[in-house]
Amino acid sequence: MQHPAFEEVTVQHEQQDDAAFNKKIRKTTILLSVITVIELALGLAIYTIHKGPDPNATLILAFKGMICILTLAKAYYIVSVFMHLGDEIRNMIMTIVVPLLLFIWFIIAFIYDGHSYKELRNEFDKHFQETTTPVQHQPAEKPQSPVGGKE
Amino acid sequence: MSEAMNIHPGTTAAVAVHHDGHGHHQSFISKYIFSQDHKTISKQFLITGIIWAMIGGLFSVLFRLQLGFPDQSFPILETFFGHWAKGGHIQPEFYYALITMHGTILVFFVLTAGMSGTFANFLIPLQVGARDMASPFLNMLSYWFFFLASIIMLTSLFISTGPAAGGWTIYPPLSALGEASAGSIHGMDYWIISMAMFIVSSLLGGINYITTILNMRTRGMSMTRMPLTMWALLFTAILGVLSFPVLLSGVLLLFFDRNLGTSFYLSDIVVNGQILPNEGGSAILFQHLFWFLGHPEVYIIILPAMGIVSEILSVNSRKPIFGYMAMVGSLFAITILAFLVWAHHMFVTGLNPFLGSVFVLLTLLIAVPSAIKVFNWLTTIWRGNIRFTPATLFSIGFVSLFISGGLTGIFVGNSTIDIHIHDTMFIVAHFHIVMGVAAFFGMFSGLYHWFPKMFGRYMNNTLGYIHFWVTIVGAYLIFWPMHYQGLAGMPRRYLDKSGWASFNQFTELDKMITIVTIIVFAVQLMFVFNFFYSIFKGRKVNKLNPWGATTLEWTTPIRPGHGNWEGEIPEVHRWAYDYGKDGRDFIPQTEKIGENESKH
Amino acid sequence: MSTTTVHKTKWWSGGKSPFNLEYGKVMMWYFLMSDTFTFGAFLISYGSIRFSQNTWVDHNVVFSAFPGAGHANLPLAFVSVMTFILIISSVTMVLAVHAGHKGNKQGVIKWLLWTILGGVAFLSCQAWEWHHLITGEHAVLVNGQIDLIGQTMGANPWGNIVHDQAALTSALANTPHETLVHLVHSQDHSHSINQLAAMSDTQLRGMVDFAEIHVREKGPIAFGGYFFGITGFHGFHVFSGVVINIIMVIMTKKDVFKKRGHYLMIEKAGLYWHFVDLVWVFVFLCFYLI
Repeated sequence: MQHPAFEEVTVQHEQQDDAAFNKKIRKTTILLSVITVIELALGLAIYTIHKGPDPNATLILAFKGMICILTLAKAYYIVSVFMHLGDEIRNMIMTIVVPLLLFIWFIIAFIYDGHSYKELRNEFDKHFQETTTPVQHQPAEKPQSPVGGKE
Repeated sequence: MSEAMNIHPGTTAAVAVHHDGHGHHQSFISKYIFSQDHKTISKQFLITGIIWAMIGGLFSVLFRLQLGFPDQSFPILETFFGHWAKGGHIQPEFYYALITMHGTILVFFVLTAGMSGTFANFLIPLQVGARDMASPFLNMLSYWFFFLASIIMLTSLFISTGPAAGGWTIYPPLSALGEASAGSIHGMDYWIISMAMFIVSSLLGGINYITTILNMRTRGMSMTRMPLTMWALLFTAILGVLSFPVLLSGVLLLFFDRNLGTSFYLSDIVVNGQILPNEGGSAILFQHLFWFLGHPEVYIIILPAMGIVSEILSVNSRKPIFGYMAMVGSLFAITILAFLVWAHHMFVTGLNPFLGSVFVLLTLLIAVPSAIKVFNWLTTIWRGNIRFTPATLFSIGFVSLFISGGLTGIFVGNSTIDIHIHDTMFIVAHFHIVMGVAAFFGMFSGLYHWFPKMFGRYMNNTLGYIHFWVTIVGAYLIFWPMHYQGLAGMPRRYLDKSGWASFNQFTELDKMITIVTIIVFAVQLMFVFNFFYSIFKGRKVNKLNPWGATTLEWTTPIRPGHGNWEGEIPEVHRWAYDYGKDGRDFIPQTEKIGENESKH
Repeated sequence: MSTTTVHKTKWWSGGKSPFNLEYGKVMMWYFLMSDTFTFGAFLISYGSIRFSQNTWVDHNVVFSAFPGAGHANLPLAFVSVMTFILIISSVTMVLAVHAGHKGNKQGVIKWLLWTILGGVAFLSCQAWEWHHLITGEHAVLVNGQIDLIGQTMGANPWGNIVHDQAALTSALANTPHETLVHLVHSQDHSHSINQLAAMSDTQLRGMVDFAEIHVREKGPIAFGGYFFGITGFHGFHVFSGVVINIIMVIMTKKDVFKKRGHYLMIEKAGLYWHFVDLVWVFVFLCFYLI
């Protein structure tokens, strides 16, 4: 009986044997490291594209999107394996995951309005536009996308 | 195997069950000051809240004097407030400090901490059948952080430059620049530090409330057997835990802008011909962050009142609550929607119109669960055997105010109309009725109803009736005319509107509002007198269950000690609303379901 | 115990935790949930501001230094070291919690100490990075002259590169001697500061090579606030995590948990520590990768 002080716990958490546990942790550690290395590689790729003569905004955006997905994967492994949320019962998992859905609208609305604020200022505050828009070394082909190439 | 480990809280002896073991000889300090008993903590919240309510109410009387009688001199004000009311006239800085602190105090210190703190602490362990909160120690800390926040905010009232004066919404740049107003020099820092303490308090409390409701229910108390107060307080706590941190982030960044020269909210600002170095920030970002808390905040205020009202209307009309699951569902819907609609406070900021239309849509959706709740309250008392106690009257008053204020919510939730009436007295009327006065009615209702459980005595009924009738008539007399003022374009927060010929038509009306305000405030003082008098001299409670209610709190002794139940915690066998069933007036939750009992 | 018992149990019927967890861990999870919203609000604000600007700093230019590597351009190198330190400290924390499950006191202490070491190492890295950014000297075109400024909360030297040679030349003419000395020194290491200081302004101006030194405009000031604000807030969490872990080590040494019969407190400390790691994943994403 491991939890004598807590009557509210109904079912004893399963004791993992050392070998299985160590294997799981080793696997997760390697996975997290590999993901991080891939992220770094993508980051360096973005850096190289930036330095190049004609940065491809779409490609950069795609790379950044991949990095975001990889980050979410990392977060999943940390929460599920290291924080043992994956070993809890479904009720517990849902009570943590469901509130996080609020972030979807939180992020969309904030970013959307930030972007809209920029557009408004560019339209009605020409001074803002002229002083802050990056001057292209080569003649600019198209307006910069919000996430895309800087410099 | 799982059966063997199934040890329930009720099976252990009362004293042994505690995590930290109290119930021994307690000194005065550990019993009344640093108490870990949820009932004592709730009373601490309540009394601190009452003190704050009197201060905040007094402030409203002061600025109403200015609004009703802008030209008249009140020498007594100068006696009390010195140069803040030079010549008996409220000075502009003083006026702005008054309205700012009125909002801050009543929204946060009274209706959030005072109400949630009181009723969540008092009712949750009693109604779900727990000996105390999940963590009594953190619960105590929650009160003391609130106390600390109160002290800091109170101190800011007495510093030479005055308290924060940028409105309770503390929008930058007014709040971010010391040059902007007297209150922004130092008062704003006090405000931010106090609010940070307040947020810590509300998080400690909220986490405790959620965990207690989910984890510590007694045997048989399934979620759908809980009284609606529990559901309401659960959702309130969820709202608080998820939204207050965002305000914490927001005010921390504001604090950095004020004191460390950062540019989170500041950009392109010219003061006295000097361009400030700040660049790149966005004042609108603060409004987003503020209202991401601010909108859930209004539900944090109103949901406990809704829960209390549901419970009291059912008990006092001797009928089961109508549409229990619909009530729970609409509470849930309101909780979700609360997080999705914040920008409807910001339609005039230059918000993207498309984004604005999404916010309008989501805002108007709130009308659905709100209407469901209103219909359910009305059908609950419909043809009921109503006992018109002060608690019942205040609950009915709550429903009335919630309808009146909620209907104007449909107006102001529309960006097309809101752009016209934004920042006018119409808004003041709307939110005071629907969230200010209505929430107060819920709180009064709860106090009259649970006072016997809290103090073992009754409050005086006659004073209660006077309190109700003067307050509800007064509330409508004060706020109803403000709708017309707002539609005529009269802005809120203005010191003196006599310079506009178009507002001269309202001069007499403003005088009337001010006079009614003073009367209503006097009646609230009478309530406070009734409250404290009844604690010591009220009629004693001599039966366990004076209201004939089904819920668990009335199965405890008249004056429950720490641990609430003397023996085992009772087991629950039915939902909380078996009133007027099978010819019986009420059936307590602890009674087993009979063999021939009809289904509800 | 089999999975069927888990499925058969009526979790919500009262008298038990619907999560099969003791109250303390549930509270810890909800606290972390609220803290998620604190950090979420910070990072989302950062995103909102970034999207409201026409230009933003290039993080690969800002974070390109490595301790001891001088002026070598090594983007992402140092921060990857920091990231790995946190991941490894998270792993040692898992091992500490596991040792706690087994009631292995020595194991708990050993792995907690490694975790603390990781936390301290991370904080040291952060201190170096902050110091490097604040004291850095970067050529910026300000009011018609060249200035050397670091990345602070009130100034940002990472604006757009100035390509207008005429403007640069005239700015150079207005730039004071002291600044010129440091400007040349940053590009030319063959002379010491003293040697350079002895030269005349004209000489120095001749030595400035704008192909080597990128003179920039001032960048968005908000960047510094967000970077220092968010990494600082995260650093504060790491710091408090280290303090919590130290307390845990002391309590373990004093046999507090042994007497209690369980090491569940270590689990809660562990949850907090992993959360700190989790937040870093997102800080890393927002400031260093995209």
